[in-house]
Amino acid sequence: MKSSRTLGLVMIAPAAVMIVLFFLMPVVLTAVFSMTNMTTATGISGGVYQIAPNSLITLKSAMPEIAAEMAEPRYTIDEAGLKAVEGLGLAPAIAAELRAKHAGEVFATRRDVERMIKDLTERPSTREVKQISEQFNRSVLNTRFDSKEQLFSSLDGLGFKLTPEQKETVAKTTYTGWTWTTDNFSRMASSPDMARVLFNTVLYVALVLMLFNVGYALLLAIWTHYMPPTRASIFRGIWLLPRITPVVIYVMLWKWLAWDSGFISILMGRFGYPPKNYLLDTAYNAWFFVVLINGFIGASMGMLVFSSAMKAIPKSQFYASEVDGASRWQQIRYIILPQMRWPILFVTCYQTLSLLASFNEILLATNGGPGNATEVWALSAYHTALRNYAGNLEYGLGAAMALVLVVIGVVLSLLYLRVFNYGTLVAKPLIED
Amino acid sequence: MTILPTLKSLTIAAAILASTSAFALAKDVTISVWAGGTGPNDTYRLDAIEIAAQQLQREAALKGEDLKITVEKKPYSAWEDFKQALTLAAEAKTAPNIVVSGHEDIAPWSQSGLIVPIEDYVDLDSWPLNGIYENLLKIASYNGTVYGIPQDAESRPMFFWKPYMKAIGYSDADLDALPQNVQDGKYTMKNLLEDAKKMQDRGLVQPGYGFYPRTSNGPDYWQFYTSFGGTMEEGGKLVFDKAAMTRTYQFFADAVKSGVTKKNHIGMPGDQWWKEVATGKAGIWDGGTWHYARLVNQEGLTDFFGNVIFTLIPAGEGGKANTLTHPLVYLLTAGHDKEETDIAAQLITIASEPRINALHAVKSAHLGISEAESEVDFYSADRWTREATERLLPHANAMPNNSDFGTYWNIMWKNLEASWTGAKTVDAAIGDAESELKSTLGDKIVIR
Repeated sequence: MKSSRTLGLVMIAPAAVMIVLFFLMPVVLTAVFSMTNMTTATGISGGVYQIAPNSLITLKSAMPEIAAEMAEPRYTIDEAGLKAVEGLGLAPAIAAELRAKHAGEVFATRRDVERMIKDLTERPSTREVKQISEQFNRSVLNTRFDSKEQLFSSLDGLGFKLTPEQKETVAKTTYTGWTWTTDNFSRMASSPDMARVLFNTVLYVALVLMLFNVGYALLLAIWTHYMPPTRASIFRGIWLLPRITPVVIYVMLWKWLAWDSGFISILMGRFGYPPKNYLLDTAYNAWFFVVLINGFIGASMGMLVFSSAMKAIPKSQFYASEVDGASRWQQIRYIILPQMRWPILFVTCYQTLSLLASFNEILLATNGGPGNATEVWALSAYHTALRNYAGNLEYGLGAAMALVLVVIGVVLSLLYLRVFNYGTLVAKPLIED
Repeated sequence: MTILPTLKSLTIAAAILASTSAFALAKDVTISVWAGGTGPNDTYRLDAIEIAAQQLQREAALKGEDLKITVEKKPYSAWEDFKQALTLAAEAKTAPNIVVSGHEDIAPWSQSGLIVPIEDYVDLDSWPLNGIYENLLKIASYNGTVYGIPQDAESRPMFFWKPYMKAIGYSDADLDALPQNVQDGKYTMKNLLEDAKKMQDRGLVQPGYGFYPRTSNGPDYWQFYTSFGGTMEEGGKLVFDKAAMTRTYQFFADAVKSGVTKKNHIGMPGDQWWKEVATGKAGIWDGGTWHYARLVNQEGLTDFFGNVIFTLIPAGEGGKANTLTHPLVYLLTAGHDKEETDIAAQLITIASEPRINALHAVKSAHLGISEAESEVDFYSADRWTREATERLLPHANAMPNNSDFGTYWNIMWKNLEASWTGAKTVDAAIGDAESELKSTLGDKIVIR
């Protein structure tokens, strides 16, 4: 028996690797990112230390004199620099002329020193000018240091007398990368827009789920249940179309229907109504279409599950009820619905989770508009982390928002498993090893 | 062993040696360039690099080098997709060598190390770079370092449909004087809304078409903030002027309330908007100088000057007439071989030469980047580029290069849209913007 267990583990190994890589890792990474202030400006892979005019503004309030001194760019033609130029392997006359004519001179900007270098008799190429000027750079301004140690040794080398605390302050204000923080969560908690987005999400999931994914799906299943088999199949086939149509084309069809120049406007124009963008006209309109678009896609799954479940109800129950004179409504009320408890629970559970995470249809139809009226949580996380006009991608905040969805999903799953009474569903078989 | 085989093998050896030295001189380089916001009129953003490559190859040949440059071009029509693709590619170390993007990206991209300063590779004192307008070069700099070379300049004017302006009482002389009146602050935002209303009341345009602004987020909206007295940055710190922002939000809320602008205007299909402004369905609208190219080339508005008059964005209460220039810049990305980046920098330099850049300016109706370009006959003979340069460019401001500006922009836009559509009152939108700016940017923004 042991060998069969080992074999089982071996067989499950590829799947386990996949699960870890593609299911578990994204969640773990989301959790890690959510505890950072990562954005486009901080980068993902980590930062460097750069004393830039921008960071000196912050430093100025803490240590004004040192900040002012650091702000001074200096290019000094000193012996060390001249030696370094000699080592570059350029024409020897360059270093010689620099030593003879310019030793000891100090230049305020790189452009100044480069202008001087270009005036040398042996005019170096642009690339060489850049190489030479770098040898005389005696300033930390705008230089990027990979580590704190490099920054500190450079500051020491330039004669800055800083206490360890001051050094740490300099390092902190000049670090360009991301840092660990819980700010994302406090931002989410305090932002009125986040509350609005959360409300939108609850509204969206509840409306689509109740009206279409469960309600309308059940209605369709019952309708087709009482239809002749061929007609029922055709009907179900039609309802599958929104599901199997590529989502971009499907949403474009809706847009063509509802835009200013679309079908509804043309039709209403015949009755004297001016054309208008029915899709984005008001928040209510946008919601109406968002719910319809998603509902029509989502209804098919419930319809299929419910239809097959109804087929499993023994026919004898229907015959017997007809003999007893039961109406269709009574059959639905007393035979079908009581036996649909599990399928309904299953569809509710599954669709809640998928609706919580779905946003592509909304992105294509309204992009969260008008005025963020249809911005749901998943779409907002996407906009925050990956897509906005200003190009300011806030990976940390977006990850924190995604994490909230993961947590809600996990909690809901556990809740549903409890309601489902998962234990009885996967009860141990009587024949054990 | 005779002398012959020895000679033979020596010859072969020499031939092999010669061939390897030839190989050593031959250099095959691929330079990739991506450009955002690039439609059919803006292809010279990429093509100019290709033209430059031919020139550089010839120069190399004269120096005895066999340099072969292949230019890989990738245009992106939308900005969101482009910025997402570029930042993710750069993080994955697969960024192109050259990027053409808005100058406002310099701050965050340089801080995160995605781009390198172009002044490390080029001589800003030599032609053609020394001829580039000083203010444009400043916009392409951050932290006192020049990161990019301006690829174009532009400005964002207010457009008026002439026949409707005449129909509500403007004479030809009035219309000729309009640009100057706007500049002097005699024609204001208030007059603009009144005229838009008149056009609707006379039935010249449909309700909601009197004032027909940009349909999506964009730099244009900062011009309105400036119009109402707002400042974006001061002394290196971002500024949120509550009163000016309130007046800006209120302006759009009022436009919707009075019915001259549609509540559902934001998010409408772009193609529809273009068709409508090109055919006189809208009365007054704002846009970029580059709109001229699209209106004339793609939308069929052949008699542009007969139908449209353009001005600065009029002053609002507390502000001044203004326009915004939003130059795209050539940037060098990090993570490439130094020699490759050097070649890329040389290509950018050559592409900035007046004649080559004029191809882009004239085809796309953008403005030139140097004085010398305006002296190129091909450029100066073009009525649009000449008039737009004279009338607008001297009054142009730019968005700040600040690594936190994107955050400010997102918050500003989100709340403008909310107050526009009535999802929030203006006061609530300002309040929300303020509290979010405080919690997000802290002391990096001055709120007053």
